[in-house]
Amino acid sequence: MSYVDAGYIAALGAMFVYGVGLVLRRRRWERARQVARSDAGVTPATDASAAAAPGGHP
Amino acid sequence: MTTLVPNDAVTTSASPAGPSVVRPRWLSVVGVLGVLTMIATVWLGLWITPPDQVQGNLARLLYIHPPIATVALYWAGGVAAAGSLLYLWPRTRSLFWDRLAAAAVEVGAVFSALTLITGSLWGRPVWGVWWTWDARLTSTALLLLLELGYMALRRVPADPAIRARRCAVAALLVAVDVPIVHFSVDWWQTLHQGGTILDPGFHLHVHGSMLWTLLLGFISFSLLFVWFLGVRYRIEVLQDEVGDQELEVSLSERWSETNAIGTLGSSTSPDGDRS
Repeated sequence: MSYVDAGYIAALGAMFVYGVGLVLRRRRWERARQVARSDAGVTPATDASAAAAPGGHP
Repeated sequence: MTTLVPNDAVTTSASPAGPSVVRPRWLSVVGVLGVLTMIATVWLGLWITPPDQVQGNLARLLYIHPPIATVALYWAGGVAAAGSLLYLWPRTRSLFWDRLAAAAVEVGAVFSALTLITGSLWGRPVWGVWWTWDARLTSTALLLLLELGYMALRRVPADPAIRARRCAVAALLVAVDVPIVHFSVDWWQTLHQGGTILDPGFHLHVHGSMLWTLLLGFISFSLLFVWFLGVRYRIEVLQDEVGDQELEVSLSERWSETNAIGTLGSSTSPDGDRS
């Protein structure tokens, strides 16, 4: 394997692994939020109003 | 009451808890464009462009190394610095800026690490060493360490406002290193070369298909950065929401326990006899 091949494999491999990792993390946290909401008994309407509250774009 | 209604710009995934997962469609488009331009960059860089007269095939690494470094330094560093400044500024203070800065620092750390790795893979055959304590290399390694420090600081449990202020200051310390990395090749005698595309007199160093491939590399890595940033920002929002809701559940459980004890206490006389 040449240095060029190694460089491209490292860069593309890292991009792929990080991208897939981000998607999996996002799914995990989405599931965690659903569980937390069902525990807290949050209704979709309450959820929508909460989504527009603090932390949103100013 | 505000409600979120799916429209052309937004897709939602249905769930038992309602339309909670909001994913902007433009971000998916950016991700797809990033992948397509990346494929084109690799194809042009490895198979279409000619070898360099001096460096031969090793010059092909320069279609990815400068774009990765640009994202790590200017895009990620710029977003982190701007987000932190806007959070610290009282008139624009919002957790949006704090989360954006946090997302930028993490994505920037990935690109900083890749900058060092791809640079090292180029430096070994060209310079003869994997690593040297050159000003550009050392300041880039420092950038990565500062970004890792920021990420560690963010994991320290604290009130969201305190954590945001603390992290904003830390991100500004990260940002201080950005101009040092940029000007390191001018301020010190370094092994690392100066400008890759333009020299100080704005004369082009790269031409023809090599130039277009390099520019495509800048576009593809920049698009991927935007996609990473968007997804990572979304994770920050979800983490905060789950944390808040878990706290609410714990508090409600504690309240119900307290009420149950209170009810038991009120129905029991001080000497322990039931009334």
